[in-house]
Amino acid sequence: MKLIRGQSLFVDILIWGFLILTALLILAPIIFMFTASLMPARDIVKMPYPWIPQGLYLNNYEQAVRGNDGSYIFPRNILNSFIVAGLVSVTTVLISALTGYGLAKFPFRGRNLVFLIIMATMMIPFEAIMIPLYLVATSLRIQNTYTGLILPFLTNAFGIFLMRQYLITFPDEILDAARIDGSGELSIFWRIILPNSAPAIATLSILTFRSQWDNLLWPLLIAQSEEMKTIPLYIVKFAAEKHTDEGAMMAAAAIASIPILILFLTLSKYFVSGASLYSSRKG
Amino acid sequence: MNRILNRGIEHKKARWGWFFVLPSLVFFSIFSFYPIINAFYTSLFRKRLLSLRPPTFVGLDNYEYLLKSPDFWNSIKATFIFTLGTFIPIVICSLLLAAFIMSRKRFQKLFQMAFYSPAVLSSVVAATIWLLIFDPRGLANQGMNFLLGTVGTDYKWLASANMVRFSTILVYFWKYIGYFTIIYITGLASIPQSLHEAARIDGANGWKDFWYITIPLLKPTTVLVSIMSMLQCLKTFSTQYLFTQSGAPLEPINVITLNIYNTAIRDHNIGRASSMSVILFVIMLFFTWVQFRASRSGGEVDYM
Repeated sequence: MKLIRGQSLFVDILIWGFLILTALLILAPIIFMFTASLMPARDIVKMPYPWIPQGLYLNNYEQAVRGNDGSYIFPRNILNSFIVAGLVSVTTVLISALTGYGLAKFPFRGRNLVFLIIMATMMIPFEAIMIPLYLVATSLRIQNTYTGLILPFLTNAFGIFLMRQYLITFPDEILDAARIDGSGELSIFWRIILPNSAPAIATLSILTFRSQWDNLLWPLLIAQSEEMKTIPLYIVKFAAEKHTDEGAMMAAAAIASIPILILFLTLSKYFVSGASLYSSRKG
Repeated sequence: MNRILNRGIEHKKARWGWFFVLPSLVFFSIFSFYPIINAFYTSLFRKRLLSLRPPTFVGLDNYEYLLKSPDFWNSIKATFIFTLGTFIPIVICSLLLAAFIMSRKRFQKLFQMAFYSPAVLSSVVAATIWLLIFDPRGLANQGMNFLLGTVGTDYKWLASANMVRFSTILVYFWKYIGYFTIIYITGLASIPQSLHEAARIDGANGWKDFWYITIPLLKPTTVLVSIMSMLQCLKTFSTQYLFTQSGAPLEPINVITLNIYNTAIRDHNIGRASSMSVILFVIMLFFTWVQFRASRSGGEVDYM
């Protein structure tokens, strides 16, 4: 045993070095975003890049919020992102929990088929159905509204899968006891199932929030007026404008990232458990 | 008596079961199944956005047009270059990173978080950051000049066709490597430690243990990671969209999704965009099926 350890000291250092270097390389663009957001443009394009801002140059943030046309529409777009991502998280959790509970705890004829049909929707990429969905939204006259931004994402197969897997091991005795006490099925769902699914709900709502925060394609189709746009749309437009200053671009990117990075740093456990959920399915 | 009562309860339970799944079924019918069927249907018509004229049935004309269109084949090519160039390195590197992290006794969580953090950012934010890094005066050129010992060379990250392809691949690789590393870590953690110990006792060194124990037992995870990353790459959109909006050449990175978007929204050609959507859908189904088959052929791994 000792021999192996002695041999691998060199390998040990090599692996540590490699991991630390990779971590720094991966973090570098994020560090670049934050440092550049605090520098005047002439420092950002300096060669070599200075990495440490000389003081806090907050003009960038001001310009990002003001916009090139001085319309101050970015705060509204940020609010829209919060509204859409928040509402979608709530509906996704509720509907997924409802369906997951039904699939996990209520034997009915055709249950496996229903589960299969729902899982099959994972195979339908949003990119392939966005045009028909857009036509549906136009005929419902919900383009350029919050309803339109939210409606196609009320729930998803992944959420239902997650809730079903979580609830399938929930003890039946508790449910039966509640039934004998005279609780209705809906009140059992509301008062027993939901409060006891906190970890799964936390994972699902965080993943949903993140993916809606990131959503570009659907708002691009559906949000036409500046007032209804979300953060990604604002950033695309802002980055494409000729006279946008590099620092202001990074400030806008930083503003868009701060809420999600705070979530990540405080609740990283749920982000990680969401990512690893897929692979635990087999084991 | 008891049986009848039981049946009554089961009946009631079945009704509640349907009640609970019904909202989702309605939702998926309207927002998943109807649109995909509608895409198939519309792909058989000449239909224009905002046009008052009723769509005319043209059979497979849209498909015929696409199969003859160099622009469409260019999109197929761009998509496949991007997908192969991204998902193969992701599968290999995320496995290696996961193995390296798991070989350390300390700071596992810290490394996982560091590697995962780009995946948390919006894809638009990621693309914006790299847009500046790829600036002629940006970090990418500085880094390359340092590594290759050149002075002041501009590698034209966003200007030359091959480089702009490579740039989009790099952005995607950077963004998702940590995500798949975490999936691999879960897979690695599920391999019983006793197997590694047994291999050691039989005289296997670290490398042999990795090659003959870890890799074969990780096969389910590898299949999962390769399917997920490949599907993710086939529907890439944001990076390419933002880069072209900010002045990068369209042709080398005109991936299928971008082409669908432009055909429908810019050219108002709904019929043709729908047939492209159908082709994308079929391609994704096909490759998922191929990878599932490939994973079955070697026999199921069972170590429990």
